[in-house]
Amino acid sequence: MNRIVLISGIVIFAALVGVLFLNLGHDPSAIDSPLVGKPAPSFALKAVGTGETIDVARLRGKPAIINFWATWCGPCYLEHPVLVQNARVLGNQVQFVGVVFNDTEQKIQAFLADRGSAYPTLLDESGKTAIAYGVGGVPETFFLDRNGKIVAKYTGPMSTEDIQKNLAKAMK
Amino acid sequence: MTATLGRFLILASVLVSTTGAMISFAAGRKHAPEGVRWAQRFAYAFAALMILATLTMEYALLTHDFSVSYVAHVGSRSVPTWVTIVSLWSSLEGSILFWGAVLGIYIAAATYLNRDQHAEYMPYAIGTWLACGAFFSFLLSGPANPFLTVPAAADGPGPNPLLQNHYLMVIHPPFLYLGYVGMTIPFGYACAALLRGRLGLSFLKPMRASLMVPWIFLTCAIMLGGWWAYEVLGWGGYWAWDPVENASLLPWLTATAALHSAIVMERRGVLKGWTVTLIQASFLLTILGTFMTRSGVFNSVHSFTQSAIGPTILAFLAAVLIFSIALLATRIDTLEAEGRIDSAASKEGAFLFNNLIFVLLTFTVLIGTVFPLVVEAVKGKQMSVGRPYFDAMVVPAGTALLFLLGIGPALPWGRSSRQQILKALLPPIATGGVLIALGAAFGIRNGWTLATMFVGGYAAHVTLAQMWQPLVQRLRRGDSFGNALVNGQLRRGRRRFGSYIVHSGAVIVLIAIAVSSTQRTQHEVKLTKGQATTIGAYTLTFTGTEVRQEPNREATIANFNVAKNGTPVTTLAPRMNQYPQMREPIGTPAVYSTLKGDLYLSIMNLEGDTAGVLVLWMPMVGWIWFAVILMGIGGLVALIPSRAVIAVEAKDSVAAAAPALS
Repeated sequence: MNRIVLISGIVIFAALVGVLFLNLGHDPSAIDSPLVGKPAPSFALKAVGTGETIDVARLRGKPAIINFWATWCGPCYLEHPVLVQNARVLGNQVQFVGVVFNDTEQKIQAFLADRGSAYPTLLDESGKTAIAYGVGGVPETFFLDRNGKIVAKYTGPMSTEDIQKNLAKAMK
Repeated sequence: MTATLGRFLILASVLVSTTGAMISFAAGRKHAPEGVRWAQRFAYAFAALMILATLTMEYALLTHDFSVSYVAHVGSRSVPTWVTIVSLWSSLEGSILFWGAVLGIYIAAATYLNRDQHAEYMPYAIGTWLACGAFFSFLLSGPANPFLTVPAAADGPGPNPLLQNHYLMVIHPPFLYLGYVGMTIPFGYACAALLRGRLGLSFLKPMRASLMVPWIFLTCAIMLGGWWAYEVLGWGGYWAWDPVENASLLPWLTATAALHSAIVMERRGVLKGWTVTLIQASFLLTILGTFMTRSGVFNSVHSFTQSAIGPTILAFLAAVLIFSIALLATRIDTLEAEGRIDSAASKEGAFLFNNLIFVLLTFTVLIGTVFPLVVEAVKGKQMSVGRPYFDAMVVPAGTALLFLLGIGPALPWGRSSRQQILKALLPPIATGGVLIALGAAFGIRNGWTLATMFVGGYAAHVTLAQMWQPLVQRLRRGDSFGNALVNGQLRRGRRRFGSYIVHSGAVIVLIAIAVSSTQRTQHEVKLTKGQATTIGAYTLTFTGTEVRQEPNREATIANFNVAKNGTPVTTLAPRMNQYPQMREPIGTPAVYSTLKGDLYLSIMNLEGDTAGVLVLWMPMVGWIWFAVILMGIGGLVALIPSRAVIAVEAKDSVAAAAPALS
């Protein structure tokens, strides 16, 4: 038994595998946002189709998910069915809202007609809401607790697990 | 139907590889010749199943069978046929399948080449390979199954547009896989030597050859990756110390070290345990690289998106690490040294320093890559380790390596007198001085670059002198030039000749990297149609934009006329390719390559008749690609031994080892 080899081997093993293991669940695209822990910036936007105005206050009372997306965004096509399905399942407990920016109402309506919708989609015509939320790329999703405080932000298309994991923080 | 066939082939390969691994290990322990033959049969069967499964996937891709999950994921009716074929490695599951096929081919080839040799080691080696094969077929049977049956759609999204955008992205991944997967073979040999508790000189040959093959592929793959980044990403660089780039560099560093320590082992009978350790590290680092690109833990432009196989690969990495450490700790002392190293001022001394620097580099790059994860795990903060860290650590180490590349080959083996050493080391200084003067004349003022020029000149002198030494000796003895060339360089000592070709390539690469990264000039400029900008001797005139419809994309092209000192030399057409499934267009820069350097033009933005462009002058970049190809060719030359050479080498090594033993 060569002790030096054994001990140095174990040290390297423990360090490397330990660090990798601790990072396993972690997602590098989950970028810290200064908004996390703060009240959601206010907005009042018109819903596509109905024309109804929805503001941030309307989202209070139950946890909410604000999903920024656009019809010109490829990954949003992947994410859309996941969101719709989750919204149908969780509809009573969680308020889903889509915010579309840099886009036209016509294209959004065609998109939703084609791929289904289960929650209000708001058109951010001026792009001011996206700026207020510091949206760098779409899709980006904010998770709000029942008091309207942002508890998590997710960048990139989400899977059902990603939604559940972040919702757990909002449900607390 | 196709999906079912694929699943069947994968399950059969799980069965064959696990059974085969067990039979092989048992055959090794019992020294049973019949068992060895069965081990070989299982190795061939595994290869056949993996290749068939891959062909089944190609068939599904080509027939647009969207009921196969992987085809539904990456297939499309609207992309060209070649894109459909290479879609095999465009996404996670397919790339693992391709990995399995490459592994199968490697295992079958290594088994076949040693079918009548090294019977004491081979069963252990085959057992180790098949155990690795078992892991990858297990991945394909569950966590990364490409053959799931899904409701068939009419059409699919097509593969990642980056793959469709440039031919280099088509050849880079196969080279990388051939390099990564190939490391399994020397790993198997190293484990066999440890399990057997012996590493004879004769077994060193297949071990070194099996290391050389993936080394050549990995060398080319790293270059192709850098070349791709340079030709496609448009920021004017070829290396960014991105985690995935580092992942390909790490096993290359340890494999290069192992190739060198194997020479000392062959000549002196020492460093056996060390060489075996380096080989095992190379394999482990390829698994780490696989984890880094496929776990979603690292953020990189090159990596696959987040996937569920991260934990499985980590478990495999941990298992292989434990196995290797246990094997090394219990068996390394059985590989006893047959000689010893007498003096630091000798070839073997230089080899030791070389190994030291390569290992140091490996740890430097590894720590820089993993450090952000440590911080994230401990403090929960995000950070990245950037260029300054890597440059500060790697530039001195690279320069030192280049210096050793000159000194090592010049020094004689064993103990020698002061005069002998000085006679070997002093003359190349003159060539180093000439290169400094040349660099200074071209306007280089950076201290590190000038230092690189000096040691590069020194190394070039030694390399060329050593490379052609057999020819020169024969000419002095009165041989005709033709005879001297064939007998001195090609028929005998091909391995030596090949190694020095690799060395000359390495000298050029290191100088070209130093020059291109410190001597580049660049500016960003906004031009309207008809306007021009100058860089060095070149004048670029913007002649307008055009939009071109191509089957799988829409390209916006900006046209430039390029003149050197007023004489038109070429036109450049950097473009933006818009793929239907991407939001942002992918820019493709245009490069005009000359011997002196590259004129590099990349679009920043396009609005009507106005183009914002990045204009770069990168000296000597083309030399990098050329010199790495030279390194690959040198590796190939070294790899093809002739029977005569083997006999001569064996005699040589006995003669060389003799003084040390007395």
